[in-house]
Amino acid sequence: MTDLRLAGRPAYFGAKVARVEDDRLLTGRASFVADVRLPDMVEMAMVRSLFAHATISVDLDAVRAADGVVDAVSASDLTDVGVYPDFITYMQPVKATVLATDKVRYVGAPIAAVVGEDRYRAEDGVELVEVEYGELPAVTTADAALADGAPKLFDHWPDNRIVNLPLELEDVEEVFRTHRVVSGRYATHRHSGVPMETRGCAAEYRHGRLTLWTATQSPHIVRTTLSYVLPIAERDIRVVAPDVGGGFGTKTHIYPEEVLVCWLAMRLGRPVRWIEDRTEHLVATNHAREHTLELEAAIDDDGTIAAVRCHLLHDVGSAEIFMPGICPTFVAGSHVAGAYRIPLAQNSYTQYVTNKTPSGAYRGFGAPEAYFAVERLVEKIAKEVAVDPIELRRKMLLDDGDLPYTTATGGIIDSGSFRASFERAVELGRKAEAKRRSEHDDDGSRIGFGVATYLEGTTPTYFGTTGHWTSHDSATVRIEPDGSAVVSVGVTTTGQGTTTMVAVLTADALGIPIESVRVEIGDTDSCPYGLGGWGSRSTVAGGGAILKAAGQVRDKVLRIAGHLLETDPADLEIEGGRVHVAGSPDHSVSIGDVGTAAWVRTVDLPRDEDPGLEVTATYDPPLLEHFADERGRMNGAAVWANATHAAVVKVDLQTGVVDILDYVVVHDCGPVLNPPILEGQVHGGVAQEIGGVLYEHFPYTEEGQPLATTFMDYLIPSATEVPDIVVEHFESPSPNMPLGLKGAGEGGCLGPPAALSNAICNALEEFDVDITELPLTPAVIRSKIRAGRGDA
Amino acid sequence: MQPVTEPVESLEVTLTVNGTTVTKRAPVRKLLSDFIREDLGLTGTHVGCEHGVCGACTILLDGEPVRSCIMFAVQADGREVTTVEGITPPQGLSPLQQAFKDHHGLQCGFCTPGFLMTITGVNPDDYPDEESIRHMLAGNLCRCTGYQNIVKAVQAAWGRPTA
Repeated sequence: MTDLRLAGRPAYFGAKVARVEDDRLLTGRASFVADVRLPDMVEMAMVRSLFAHATISVDLDAVRAADGVVDAVSASDLTDVGVYPDFITYMQPVKATVLATDKVRYVGAPIAAVVGEDRYRAEDGVELVEVEYGELPAVTTADAALADGAPKLFDHWPDNRIVNLPLELEDVEEVFRTHRVVSGRYATHRHSGVPMETRGCAAEYRHGRLTLWTATQSPHIVRTTLSYVLPIAERDIRVVAPDVGGGFGTKTHIYPEEVLVCWLAMRLGRPVRWIEDRTEHLVATNHAREHTLELEAAIDDDGTIAAVRCHLLHDVGSAEIFMPGICPTFVAGSHVAGAYRIPLAQNSYTQYVTNKTPSGAYRGFGAPEAYFAVERLVEKIAKEVAVDPIELRRKMLLDDGDLPYTTATGGIIDSGSFRASFERAVELGRKAEAKRRSEHDDDGSRIGFGVATYLEGTTPTYFGTTGHWTSHDSATVRIEPDGSAVVSVGVTTTGQGTTTMVAVLTADALGIPIESVRVEIGDTDSCPYGLGGWGSRSTVAGGGAILKAAGQVRDKVLRIAGHLLETDPADLEIEGGRVHVAGSPDHSVSIGDVGTAAWVRTVDLPRDEDPGLEVTATYDPPLLEHFADERGRMNGAAVWANATHAAVVKVDLQTGVVDILDYVVVHDCGPVLNPPILEGQVHGGVAQEIGGVLYEHFPYTEEGQPLATTFMDYLIPSATEVPDIVVEHFESPSPNMPLGLKGAGEGGCLGPPAALSNAICNALEEFDVDITELPLTPAVIRSKIRAGRGDA
Repeated sequence: MQPVTEPVESLEVTLTVNGTTVTKRAPVRKLLSDFIREDLGLTGTHVGCEHGVCGACTILLDGEPVRSCIMFAVQADGREVTTVEGITPPQGLSPLQQAFKDHHGLQCGFCTPGFLMTITGVNPDDYPDEESIRHMLAGNLCRCTGYQNIVKAVQAAWGRPTA
């Protein structure tokens, strides 16, 4: 196998390279899915359930007769559309349909689709659809869903449990019998990715070919899924992800509207587009989090943890989503031993359905929930054994000498800077804290300091999430006759700078200027089969494929150049788009000369060399495991990054408002490919989860009515809520990954729940505040202060 | 536009868009944002919430930043509209756009035109420090960047230190 390396000394890798995607986005010339306009195109609008749980019958007579309405369909019309397959064997089968058949299970569930000459008329049509609801009792909480005799969402299940995996390991139980136990119940709330671009899609059916433009993170997986449910062969489907305005996990799922616009385009012979509005987005795009971790630690006298035992509960909403929303819980389970030397762990899982929007993927994918629990419990242990929580962490953190280390949950840790990054974050955070305390002269507020430290699994298995796929990705690298290069990849971008990453690796792996590289991304017709952009995987899995393909192209370039220069290829170097004899830069040919020989002047090729200069390679990261062992252990992520966050907050005692004064992240994802892009990822992840901790929430009434359906109720942090974030890097390369790289897209999300909670508890020390639930709204903080004062 | 004395489905509107005068018939219920995007073909103006909160659809109306998703197209009759296309030079980037690029002030770029229009429509003297710049930006939501680099880009574009 070609080794996965660059051509020589990199020109771009590690440098502050400007993003190749920026100019288009800055000038208004980008093409998002809402900018796709096709001749004769019509628009779809959705009829959605107004009730959380109800039988339905639908009457489309009035809407079908209306002016400006082209078509209207309900489930009974979709006779040749299949149900989403259930591949995962350890969950109850959902058998989700594209449109609700006999009943609806959440407010926002799709019931019917109306096609109008334009969006205004499609929405007029929605008003004319008559839906008769037979209201059923709804369940919206764990207690209600899991109660004996609770109303069931799915008649073919025994109860509302979609996953029920208890586990009892004798050695773990024995440790708990013989040790002091400290425990807590840590609940995160329902919130989600909420990208600035809502979902949307447009389909066209021409000459027997179906093309779908969709705001997705995974075009090939959309294509394969469409082939499962639509009566059309996969070869005849093309899926294009144009510019996508943020995803954060929400756009990994394959949604009913994507199937509907395709089916309608085939039925009508006209292109059909659907653009989600924001109110729809907040009820019909997946929600996330809402995990409760009942976490127990068996501790030694000094507080160090001998074993952890966790019962993970997850409210998955109605579960009518593909890919299923159950997987973040297992990822949470895989992180319960933290970045610590904890020898034993045991996880049990209870996931249940409720009459709420389906839960699914969101940046961090279970890990923020896990670290909220782990890093709060460490604080609680420290308090109980009366040691400094920073000291307790120092005793338990993994050390360089421990490597390679297999965590109690099966994670294979091959590198990292657990202690160094921790100490640096504590140092920077303490310095900031001291400054704030010295300047603080306000009796009505308190300053607090908190940290959270973590290991983060990146580039995860997709088998765990879907019951299909592993974590491979693909790249095709081609050098054209003029020496310019095209790279097409199966990873995708939703704004993270992936296109620039692809260009940098290709240029440096071929030894050519970045300006001569064109990147093809997000189109199943021009890109080889890959799994897309999610799970902090693109640089590792996509990078591996690019380096593999480019390496084989490079070898061929050297062979051809050696022939042209009448030199042994082993004596050649590639640099700046030229191939020259080592130590003799003047004795050279250009990459264009080689490309011309490969494709055009093929008479100049060596006798045994085939024409062409193009290689497609796939890469599946090593070490990744797809099945858990009998102890529930599995290395579900190819490579693990680490970081420590430190926060300094000010809490107003009267209003309960939390101000984040300082926020420090010391982060280690191996070699830094592009410093500004990496820092931007950290900033964005932290900002999103600051929103999650302090502002964002999808509350429901007991009847299952959603209470956050506009941006007036679902509060995304603005520039005045997010502080400047200080980011520093350590660079511990993985010995097992291409160029030592690790994923970085999600890490920022993992720290804020615990770091902010710990800082707030520290600020409110005199009130003996414990934080076990999120979000931390001013009302919640005020009530904790009142309780601490004894005037609750 | 003539005074309207009885209900009508559509009206003719005349407005100046990025320096050019345009006359078009628009349904009276059509949002200005949709009119700009669909009827004028200027898709740089993005629609993020359609209820006036996120700021992605911000344009300049007679030089002032406004949200085009909570106005009707007919309300722009006789007015001057500037969109992101109107602040983009024929070649390359404007200094503000270049500052966003230099300081990594955008990721997915969906919210970016709205930010650019808000910043273009204000007087830098009214926002002398970082805190006031953050208040100026608070009407535009960004989900990717955490705002830090947008603040830096504004400072750079206004010739201030970006420390």
